[in-house]
Amino acid sequence: MTTDDDIIICRCEEVTKGEILRAIKAGATTPQAVKRFTRAGMGLCQGRTCRRLIAQIIAQETGQSIADIVPSTYRPPTRPLTVASLRRDNREVDR
Amino acid sequence: MSRRRIAVIECPEEIPCNPCETACPQDAIKVGQPITHRPHLDAQRCMGCGLCVAACPGLAIFMVDIKDNDQAEVTFPYEFLPLPEPGDTVTAVNREGISLGTAQVKARWQPKGADGTYLVTIALPAALAAEARGIRRPSCDN
Amino acid sequence: MAQRSLKGIAVVGGGPAGLMAALTAARHGAAVVLVDENAEPGGQLRKQIHKFFGSKAHRAGVRGYRIAQELISDCTAAGVELLGQSVVFSLRECTLDLLQKDDAFNLKADAIILATGASENALAFPGCTLPGVMGAGAAQTFVNLHRVLPGRRVLMVGGGNVGLIVAYQLLQAGAEVVGVVEALPYLSGYQVHAAKIKRAGVPIWTSHTVLEARGDQEVQEVTIAAIDDHFHPLPGSERTLAVDTVCLAVGLTPLAELAWQAGCRFCYQGALGGYVPLHSDNMETTLPHVYVAGDIAGVEEASTALEEGAIAGLAAAAAIGCPVPIAEFDAAQERLVSLRKGPFGDIRQLVKSEIVKRWADCRVVE
Repeated sequence: MTTDDDIIICRCEEVTKGEILRAIKAGATTPQAVKRFTRAGMGLCQGRTCRRLIAQIIAQETGQSIADIVPSTYRPPTRPLTVASLRRDNREVDR
Repeated sequence: MSRRRIAVIECPEEIPCNPCETACPQDAIKVGQPITHRPHLDAQRCMGCGLCVAACPGLAIFMVDIKDNDQAEVTFPYEFLPLPEPGDTVTAVNREGISLGTAQVKARWQPKGADGTYLVTIALPAALAAEARGIRRPSCDN
Repeated sequence: MAQRSLKGIAVVGGGPAGLMAALTAARHGAAVVLVDENAEPGGQLRKQIHKFFGSKAHRAGVRGYRIAQELISDCTAAGVELLGQSVVFSLRECTLDLLQKDDAFNLKADAIILATGASENALAFPGCTLPGVMGAGAAQTFVNLHRVLPGRRVLMVGGGNVGLIVAYQLLQAGAEVVGVVEALPYLSGYQVHAAKIKRAGVPIWTSHTVLEARGDQEVQEVTIAAIDDHFHPLPGSERTLAVDTVCLAVGLTPLAELAWQAGCRFCYQGALGGYVPLHSDNMETTLPHVYVAGDIAGVEEASTALEEGAIAGLAAAAAIGCPVPIAEFDAAQERLVSLRKGPFGDIRQLVKSEIVKRWADCRVVE
């Protein structure tokens, strides 16, 4: 049987609830800090599945309201893309 | 109770919706403004045509027809396959899906605007008319 | 990257809000490019096989997928250019970076309408990553778009409208729904939706939660339990159900990454799904010429998304110089307000007013 700590919260980077709890205990009390500490939310989906769960865990552990948990910075690309696709420069369209 | 087929509207909440009102050719259903008002049926005007049953997005309108011989017919919207055929013996269920015993399928049709939804009429003892609101779906493992 | 500049409006997302925004703006003379990531636009409408609530003006009684078909053909007729299978991966001012199949390029427009929708919330419990645990929306995509049953025996977690409607549609597709679990002591969805599945014999357990899903390679069983007022499981109330699928319908979160990147101001509104971009009643964000519509602006329903799309389309068209009669704004606002009445709509109307007020405050300060 899996315990609560073994639950995978960030699937892309395979970060467990236990790892996130340890990060929070170590002082990572914002989504931004948890992300830097554990890589949670830095995978292919860029946190679309886990960001809300992480905010809930932080709120629960720190006693803050979920409304006060500021999301981590959103940076491009919001969707996965290949470096090759950025290198192409094969069209100039104007309208 | 009226001795002919009339609509029975079971729309308990104030949700923004009025297709029953616009579907009724007799102006028997009133929602008014705002459209969150609950529908009111003027039973005297209802002709039992079933257009509102087919139009209701919530599948919340039925028709009941109490006959003289302690029998009744209940009509409900139905959207499952396989479809019951007239003459079939089926299990009538109440609002909780609990069996009320067997019933006979009398009719199955699609009024104008049904867009895929069927109306099914079953015959059963009049004592069950206020309870019966559907039939048991045939099992999906076949 | 190649550059393209558009004397007109770029709409991101081809669901109900985006389609309606594109159509409305194009009908008022704007050049419109609609960017959508799927093989076909339509968003959630494409799998909404049920009839919509509302009034005739809101296309009530019409099935969602038919509304998508109508809007797509109307958009084509109005001259909207559709960029399908295209993903926007960044937004800065009115410039989008997008990837169309393997080609990345940037698109600079005079105005942007973000109609990116919402994403399904996850739930963390032991076994939640087993194959067979999925969002209710994913299950709905399986049955209604791809015509594939995700499983034979399904537990639905969540008694809002999404959970109730998808449970019904899974029954229609031939699955068995073993029950609906809702953590609250009542269902937050419409009683008429609940009544449909109750008549079909589906048990509904309020004040219950899912404790664990188990299985060798995939879900084989799930344990649920009753919970107290503080959402703690009551010992002894556990019950284990044999299922191969667990659907999660535990809410949606506005999908607003692009608005964050662009620098829009936000506020948290739990009733609308989380952080939403501040916006005016014309759907303009705190950034000039950047608009939002639909679930990104607060999770509601497809019918409200259509009306917000219409308003954003009108406002963006007007902002870039197209003539838009003021009466059209009023009519669209009236249609929208009529959907936000009653016990379900009142709270959303209240919260939306709060958002508009905060937007106005931001404008005064800056």
